[in-house]
Amino acid sequence: MASKENNNVHPEHEHISSYKEHFGTWVGLILLTLMTVFVSAFGADLSTLTVVTALTIATIKALAVALYFMHLKYEPKVYRAWIIVVMALFLFFLTMVILDFTTR
Amino acid sequence: MSQEHAFVLPNSGHNFDAKSSKMGMWLFLYTELLLFGGLFLVYMIYRYLNQDAFLLASFELNVWMGATNTIVLLTSSMTIAMAITALQKGNKKLSITLSWVTIAAAIVFLVIKYFEWGAKFEHGYFPGMDHYNELPHGERLYFYLYFFMTGLHAVHVIVGAVFILFVIRGIQKGKVTKDRYSLLENSGLYWHLVDLIWIYLFPLFYLIH
Repeated sequence: MASKENNNVHPEHEHISSYKEHFGTWVGLILLTLMTVFVSAFGADLSTLTVVTALTIATIKALAVALYFMHLKYEPKVYRAWIIVVMALFLFFLTMVILDFTTR
Repeated sequence: MSQEHAFVLPNSGHNFDAKSSKMGMWLFLYTELLLFGGLFLVYMIYRYLNQDAFLLASFELNVWMGATNTIVLLTSSMTIAMAITALQKGNKKLSITLSWVTIAAAIVFLVIKYFEWGAKFEHGYFPGMDHYNELPHGERLYFYLYFFMTGLHAVHVIVGAVFILFVIRGIQKGKVTKDRYSLLENSGLYWHLVDLIWIYLFPLFYLIH
């Protein structure tokens, strides 16, 4: 049971994110959201929000949520490595679907 | 009492392991990402095949309601993240308050969603309704995906809110504490996933004109 004791409480050096950091992340996320909405709503004739732009901005937002809100930045490397594995798997599926689609 | 030395019953509360608990939650979240990832693949292919129809159908959605919901979800993500910070710092009361704010945001999100869906039902856009059946093939696909994906997301919102409610009870009862905040952290992770998926759903269904 001795080895279990270590896990019973969170270690002292566990990272605690500050309120300020969370608030800053929120401000960034809101600004990006408002930007995309206004471009889409008012600039639709001039500058069309393309799929690529929309997905790039969405990915930046998703990264901000994962790194700061979900504390991924402060987790052991293995968590980030797994994210890459999941992405690779998704890209594999995507490639297979595209291959299937284009070679029919 | 003597049993304590013999073995530890699963779920007895005596085999708490914060690290494994968090890792298990993350593994589950990875599978959730792939679940929605598959749906995004379906969306991608059908959108490519029916570009004009998807564009036309997307004008039926209310961008402002969608944008409001995005802001509501992002804000609730911040409050649950802050609730964890508060509990880690030992501020139980603030942590509970922030968790309640998160649940309130979930309810606001669902109410807005209710009105959005309600308007679509009134116009008969739900799969199987008269107006839906008369739509061209591409637009039908759009609404089918719209209802399925935002519906599945809404289910996640409900589950996340119930999870947080469960954690609030834990904090009040003293089962989730400054030294043992795993449950709050995991409910927060789940809630952020809900936010993460919406970040992609919103531009794909509402914004691309």
